[in-house]
Amino acid sequence: MNKPGISNPERGKTFVLVLILLNTVLVAAVSALQVDATIRANQANRDSQYYAIQATGSLIQAGARSDYDLNTYSKWLTDTQEALVAEYSAMQRQAANDQQGFEALTLESQIYQARADRTRSLSVLMTDPAYAPASDQVSPNITAYLSDLHSYSLELVQKQNDTSGAYHRWNNKSDSYVAILTVLAVAFFLLGVAQMAQPGVRLLFSSFAFGVISIGILWTLILLIF
Amino acid sequence: MEKPREKNNRLEVWIAVLIALVSLTTALAAWRTTSLGSKAGDLIYQGLLDAVKRQAAANEDWRKAYEEAGYTRDYLITLDGLIVQGNSNDPASQEHAAQLRTYLLPGMKSLATPLGTDPSYLTPDGWLNVQKRFDELEAQSSDLSSLDPLASFSLADTYYAEQRWLVVGTILIAVSLFWLGLSQLSHLRSRILILVLGVIVYGIGLVWSLGVEAVFFILRGGVL
Repeated sequence: MNKPGISNPERGKTFVLVLILLNTVLVAAVSALQVDATIRANQANRDSQYYAIQATGSLIQAGARSDYDLNTYSKWLTDTQEALVAEYSAMQRQAANDQQGFEALTLESQIYQARADRTRSLSVLMTDPAYAPASDQVSPNITAYLSDLHSYSLELVQKQNDTSGAYHRWNNKSDSYVAILTVLAVAFFLLGVAQMAQPGVRLLFSSFAFGVISIGILWTLILLIF
Repeated sequence: MEKPREKNNRLEVWIAVLIALVSLTTALAAWRTTSLGSKAGDLIYQGLLDAVKRQAAANEDWRKAYEEAGYTRDYLITLDGLIVQGNSNDPASQEHAAQLRTYLLPGMKSLATPLGTDPSYLTPDGWLNVQKRFDELEAQSSDLSSLDPLASFSLADTYYAEQRWLVVGTILIAVSLFWLGLSQLSHLRSRILILVLGVIVYGIGLVWSLGVEAVFFILRGGVL
């Protein structure tokens, strides 16, 4: 038994040992969390890049499709106008008693009309109920067509943005976990010094280590919650 | 009877041997954990390359399919116009239509094949079935279109999952190394307690790691 006034050199060592155990468990847990965050960041980064590739493909497909559909509609417009003009000209030739001119222009009008009819049957804009005009006097619903055309690309871009955001979030978390591990390494150092030091100084170093460990725990909890 | 000093020295030797063994296991487990991450990374890299190649092929197939659709549209429009022209009463127009059918139409038809010549390429709504033609073009470029980036990603996910579980084992082994080191520095009574703790943690870590390896080895069909 120690005499009063003489300090025990082993005093506080158990406390230091408990802190080392706590710090070890904490380091183990934070290491696992850091690896998990890194894996999630890698997966989100991969998904983000994959969606970006798909989005470019979708835009190229939409471009090719709209080029075809709008060209078809444009051809229908041209042939319809040509047919109407030829028909009108034929009527004028008939009024001028030019039978040969009337017949030639009537035939021309019929040819253009046949072309326009075929173009109309091939045109999504003219035959799909979602876009087709209600009458000959109005245009097809190009806005709805373009909206539908690009909806998949927009969906992919949205997914790409979401996964890119997730990547940045997990990457930041991973970086923060590395910082926490560094803080906990400092705590290990302080506890090591405490274990070797005199009882009075041991308590001081143990207190510092306890403070550092508390910061590590608090930081980890903040990362887990937010 | 053995003196405490001799007993302590013998224990120190055993702890040193254990530390060497656990250090080796820690290095091995750390290497395996890192290598799993690398394997997953390689597979993701491969999958992304495949995705780019496959998408480039698909882009080209879409471009070609719509190019053919454009040729087909022009062919069908010209054909219908020529039918009307050929059926007219005017001999000059009939002759003109016949000449165009002979000299113009075959070239247009060859460009419009098969979309303009095979009725199965028309949808029930009367539009050209460009999707069907695209699917055929994809089948023709099967060396690129058959690339499956999702399979690579899926395999990468199994490596990541294994890494997640294996890291727990690696941490346990590393923790046991720490405790064994501490037991080497401690005094006799606490030394044995810490040593036992270290050996238990090491055993759990080792069994865990081997179990994880075995499970994922089986899940991947015999691939490490």
